[in-house]
Amino acid sequence: MVMLTIILMGLCSYAMRAIFILALSDKTFPPMALRALEYVAPAVMASLVMTMLVAPGEGSLPAVREVAGLATAAAVALLTRNHIYVLTTAMAVYWGMGYLNL
Amino acid sequence: MSSTPTLQTHYRRQGALDALVLVVPAIPFALVFGLTVRESGLAVWLGWSSSPIMFSGAAQITLVTLVGEGASLAAAATAALVVGARHLFYSFSMAPVMQRQPRWFRWLAPYMLIDQVFALCVGKRDLPPSDFRHYYLAAGITFWSFWMVFTALGLFVGPVIPADMDISFATPVLFMGLLITAIDGWQKALVAGFAMLVTLALVDMPSRSGLLIAVVAGIALGLLIDKARRIW
Repeated sequence: MVMLTIILMGLCSYAMRAIFILALSDKTFPPMALRALEYVAPAVMASLVMTMLVAPGEGSLPAVREVAGLATAAAVALLTRNHIYVLTTAMAVYWGMGYLNL
Repeated sequence: MSSTPTLQTHYRRQGALDALVLVVPAIPFALVFGLTVRESGLAVWLGWSSSPIMFSGAAQITLVTLVGEGASLAAAATAALVVGARHLFYSFSMAPVMQRQPRWFRWLAPYMLIDQVFALCVGKRDLPPSDFRHYYLAAGITFWSFWMVFTALGLFVGPVIPADMDISFATPVLFMGLLITAIDGWQKALVAGFAMLVTLALVDMPSRSGLLIAVVAGIALGLLIDKARRIW
């Protein structure tokens, strides 16, 4: 039964990722849909970042050093567009503040 | 097929390298999944088989955890489905760029359309189709190989990387970097900020369903801004 559930979940997992790619492969997008599409990536990525920081029932606010790390990441990304710089500076802030018990 | 062989190699290497940077912070998560399988009481091969079959970390861990806790299969599957439902947005977002891809790739690409592959490739939508495909495949295969190996390792070694190293924080950091790169214009910045706030406000909703509402709310805000700008 567990095997069957996993296979069904695999099919669902694929179906959710494939449905629009396959169903809309030869459709012309109406202007409204194209505008909505522009906002999908910013909305879903922003939401994902927040989901990674807060868990249900934890008082539900990100820690100060997490906010500081992310603010650093955002600032460095804006200034340099270089993901290695983003990674090293943000992690330095995050680990540094952890070391200082901030 | 306009690219020269050197350019193909370039985008393949770039895709693999970019994916590798996201792979490293995901290692503790992969190992934890292996441990979750062991603690669930499922046969290890059965739990691990969800890696190639589902290839969806968060949904896999939800399913296996709930089955291990003795939840009904239907309840566990429903929760895992809700956790995985954000992939509908990825599919929608990628639909236009996939129109310019060959049919075989349209069928293969969704299998690899995980958070990290989406986040990396959504910024490459303007590449020529063949370059986009090489980049996507390289990123997807890199992440896939890592996930198969490290979820299997986790079955036997457990979480050998101590959690207090907090290396996992690199994932939201890199996603934040990719998010900033994806934002051109204040409308998208507002949309992103609003989606974050709604996610935070709805954090206690079951199976992370707050994320789905936050994304829809963010898109709605973007469309409203567009509409308001046309009227004024």
